[in-house]
Amino acid sequence: MTDLSNENDQEQVNYSMMDKKRKYALLIEAHSKDLYKYALWLCKDKNMAEDVMQEAFLRAWKSLDSLREAKAAKGWLFTIFRREHARQFERKQFQYKDVESMDTIEDSSHMGYDDRPEAFALRNALKKLPEEYREPLEMQVLGGFSCDEIAGILDISSSAVMTRLFRARKKMRQILGHESAPQLGVVGE
Amino acid sequence: MNCLDFKRLALSDPSSRDHSFIEHSAQCPDCLKYVGSIRQMDADLSSSMDVEMPSDLMARLQLNQELTEEIETAEVIAINPMRRYAMAASFALALFVAGFMASNQFGSNNDISSDYQALLAGVVEHMNEQAITPVWSAERANSNANTLLASYAPEMKLKFLSNLQFSRICPMGQYKGLHASLETADGQVTFAFIKGDSVSELFDAGYEGYVSRVKPIRGGNLIIMSRTNKALQEADSQLEEAMYWDI
Repeated sequence: MTDLSNENDQEQVNYSMMDKKRKYALLIEAHSKDLYKYALWLCKDKNMAEDVMQEAFLRAWKSLDSLREAKAAKGWLFTIFRREHARQFERKQFQYKDVESMDTIEDSSHMGYDDRPEAFALRNALKKLPEEYREPLEMQVLGGFSCDEIAGILDISSSAVMTRLFRARKKMRQILGHESAPQLGVVGE
Repeated sequence: MNCLDFKRLALSDPSSRDHSFIEHSAQCPDCLKYVGSIRQMDADLSSSMDVEMPSDLMARLQLNQELTEEIETAEVIAINPMRRYAMAASFALALFVAGFMASNQFGSNNDISSDYQALLAGVVEHMNEQAITPVWSAERANSNANTLLASYAPEMKLKFLSNLQFSRICPMGQYKGLHASLETADGQVTFAFIKGDSVSELFDAGYEGYVSRVKPIRGGNLIIMSRTNKALQEADSQLEEAMYWDI
């Protein structure tokens, strides 16, 4: 999960008064680990994750002047990353493995993931979710984003994010056997 | 807030700071347990994806920025228009000559085995996407190239090359290595050190309008690409002297 104390420190930083280099250094220090975790999960390949991250940070550097508030930095960076990922995915699609076919124990240990069965089951449960539910859940769990922030990044309404998260967790719990049958009403999107 | 509303919100946003959500969880042990199980699932899911970030990645992100900044500065000293036309004309001429040479002296792409072809294709794709910026400080280029080499192959060093151009660390897809160029009397030569298994023997070939050399070296392969054979030979002999292993 995200280190909240670190995040609070970050939020107090006044970016508009700061030297561009210092701003960039802070961005790397504060967010590169979370972004790498997200990148590896999305790319399913270490080299590709590193490549997309490097390109994303380079793009971030080039448009760093447009970033004024530290509290917006993470969402801003993740948005750049997602765009770069989409761009590279389009270009190098042949290098990607299909999400559904991924995550054998071998893949997990190759990527450095926890290879205990419980961890493996959780990752597989997440992969079984439809993309529209999986994406906001990944952002909330891996990126530590709020519903409003996810709404901004995905360019959908907050209520739509809430609905997708509701369905995502409900489905996860069913897959993991924490909830046997639907018991709750579904909030309309 | 009733239990049903609470559970709906718990599934959407288990860390909600909504007043009625917090109040309900304090009053209803079942709902408190329910939201606790969801938070636990989130925490377990997050830790199931914990990974160590490569130790050199942060340094590479920083170095990339420094290199880009240098280029931005260098680009301020613009090349004048006439010189740009002259460069374009030279480039077109070189391309024509190299294409001719490649087809006659070095064979065609079809003669290259898949191992070599993959290396050459990787480097050419990279060259096309990440052009080397032709303005650079040799000191800076040497220092940065050595920093990058050290992160890939700690025992490998590069002696000072006054004609080295190394503009930035850039993505190389499946490969890890260094992509840089040398300014020779006969034109610019691109070379790449690609870490990995070495090919069995030195191989020269014409490839995509370049004359190319794939050379097995310790810890990987050296790929040299040029528009002319003379420049390639010159660069190869310079690199032969400059690359060494500190063991």
